[in-house]
Amino acid sequence: MSYIDAVEKTDVPHPSKYYTEPSFETVTGIPIAYRREGSGEAVVFMHGAGFTRRWIPMYDMMAQRCDFIAPESPGFGETPMPGWFRDFSDLSILYDQLFEQLGLDQIHLVGYSMGGWAASEFASYYPRRLKSLTLVVPVGLRLEDNPGVDIFQLSPADLMNRLFNDKSVMAEFMDGMDDFDEGIHLYSEFSAAARLMWAPRYNLALERRLQRLTCPSLVVRAEDDHLIPNEMAEKYAETLPNSRLVMIPETGHEPCLERPEQLVQEITSFIKEASK
Amino acid sequence: MNKLRFYGFNLMPYPYIPPTEEFESTWVSLSNKYYEPQRGRQLYNEYIDQLVAAEKLGFDGIGVNEHHANFYGTMPSPNIIAAMLVQRTEHIPIGVIGNAIPLHGNPLRVAEEIAMLDVISGGRIISGFVRGIGCEYFNNGVVPSDSVERFNEAHDLIIKAWTDEGPFTWQGDHFYIPNVNPIPRPIQEPHPPIWIPGQGSLETLQFVAKHKYTYMMVFAPQWFTKLAFDGLREECRRLDYEAPRTMVNACVPTYVAETDEQAHREAKAHLSWVFNTGLKIPDQIFFPPGYMTTKSFRNFMGALQKGHVKPQSQLSYDELLADRYIIVGSPETVRNEIGEYCDDVGAGGLIMGGSSIGPMPNWMVMKNMQIFAEEVMPEFREADGKPDYLREAPPAPQTRTEVSAQLGRPDEEARSIVTGSDELIDHRHAHLAEVIDPSLQPTADAKPKASAG
Repeated sequence: MSYIDAVEKTDVPHPSKYYTEPSFETVTGIPIAYRREGSGEAVVFMHGAGFTRRWIPMYDMMAQRCDFIAPESPGFGETPMPGWFRDFSDLSILYDQLFEQLGLDQIHLVGYSMGGWAASEFASYYPRRLKSLTLVVPVGLRLEDNPGVDIFQLSPADLMNRLFNDKSVMAEFMDGMDDFDEGIHLYSEFSAAARLMWAPRYNLALERRLQRLTCPSLVVRAEDDHLIPNEMAEKYAETLPNSRLVMIPETGHEPCLERPEQLVQEITSFIKEASK
Repeated sequence: MNKLRFYGFNLMPYPYIPPTEEFESTWVSLSNKYYEPQRGRQLYNEYIDQLVAAEKLGFDGIGVNEHHANFYGTMPSPNIIAAMLVQRTEHIPIGVIGNAIPLHGNPLRVAEEIAMLDVISGGRIISGFVRGIGCEYFNNGVVPSDSVERFNEAHDLIIKAWTDEGPFTWQGDHFYIPNVNPIPRPIQEPHPPIWIPGQGSLETLQFVAKHKYTYMMVFAPQWFTKLAFDGLREECRRLDYEAPRTMVNACVPTYVAETDEQAHREAKAHLSWVFNTGLKIPDQIFFPPGYMTTKSFRNFMGALQKGHVKPQSQLSYDELLADRYIIVGSPETVRNEIGEYCDDVGAGGLIMGGSSIGPMPNWMVMKNMQIFAEEVMPEFREADGKPDYLREAPPAPQTRTEVSAQLGRPDEEARSIVTGSDELIDHRHAHLAEVIDPSLQPTADAKPKASAG
């Protein structure tokens, strides 16, 4: 890829808990960090705007049931973001190339929060790559009367309170996160998130483009999400042509951390069904 | 040349908001329901009167700037205020310092408006350019991480629009304009002087040094202002020139009264308001993600953590005085402190000396301005007490007679075909029947009148 300058990896702090060393696959000059465990159906997980660099318990549970691949998008975790990187179309094309290089032809795609938007964008460009699509508390559609809170305006404490409904889980995952370097790294990840989502915080074309999907899709909403409107998942479920909506009780915007067993159960049984 | 130039400045705050403890931020999130337009009308007009008064008092210039969705400075469009100042003053330079050029969809609008102001004012405009502070991006669709690129490109576009013959095509990364052809062009050659307000970042200092623009520091402690100015002079030397003193301006709100005690008594609440209330901004609103590069953010947070810099909203009045964010006192105290300050940092200009400060009532602002002009400014002037601009030739002719005498009669340019005539007609005479139809001319050798009609 000589037409694009390679981007250097930079020093990124390692969270004290659940950190694992990633593998790297260089795609159009960008060393993409990813973690991969397990065997069976290939399931790719697109992360949200945080909690990168970790192999969290949910990933482990998934890896016991499938070939689980968790890449880190440019600007997140240990994947650097080049100056030219702008939007979800850049991200989709990058992921298509990554899957090609990793020998992944057809996949089950799971996206969480911002990753739900990313997964939807990818699905709209490459519908034939998907065996199934799962969106967990996704963002990216316009709810006309309910724009939700401005996530970029929240204080760190307010953001954490809105993310977690279970404060003991919050305490576990936020342990060590007040470290100086970690704070700087979170600013850079939020900067990457802002580049993708600052304005507008939806893609109107998605509603139309998602009609191309032929694979089944699962939309997971939380019982009580304090960060994004609960109706967002419902709107996705209405929009996607062949979809099912499920709700994870007693959780908010962090079902991956707060209710991993139930979430993994829902995702894996759906994927099993979709793989037949 | 005078030792120091004084620029009156007005942020145009709107101070009638709830007690500071009751809200998180004076910017972005504090509702505009607290803005009462009736009070706003009165404030705007008083603020404009104050800036206008600076000319007769003897200031070297007056300035306005751009901020959005806040109560600290209610000038979302500084060019509108500048237009009013242009009409109500005669000779004093007017600084728009500055327009936040990355925030606007088409930077050409700024090129056009500044050119209009410059032409109408007879070349009195100083054009400042800023990125806009981080908060600005919350009222806007511009991605904060595009801010620097958009600033640089908008700057290049505006300067080219002012200096290159149009029309030309602009093919930028962020802006595409098929035909750049602003009419009017500015009156000052090659364009109005450019001022760049900054917070001391190396990138800005290098930008100013490269273009030989004028730098102005925003509110900062004296030691930091000096550090920035030394940095700028160093960058200029790197480019093989010495920065003239007029290239750097300090920004120090200054209040002067009859005695030290009286000055503190009058100014304390208002100066504290500027910093503790006006600039009450939580970090996440001051620095939206991507507004600073990760490297700059690391340096800044590191300095905060080590206690080198304290958030302005947390500075006590005594700390503001001790670090010389502000200067307050009797005429003698203020003269001495300004002299020391500007010698120490090497500033050729002082912004916000003897100006409006926060919610200060009109009478107090006028008192500050008058004592400042009469008892502080003369110390830094030549014996005649004039501002430098009155000793220089005005940038444009002042009267119609001068225009005619200097530029001549524009007769050739004014000719075109007028209905009823076969020849090119001077528009100024087109109402004269004999000009349209030469046969009507009452001369002896006139052609016979055409028979038709």
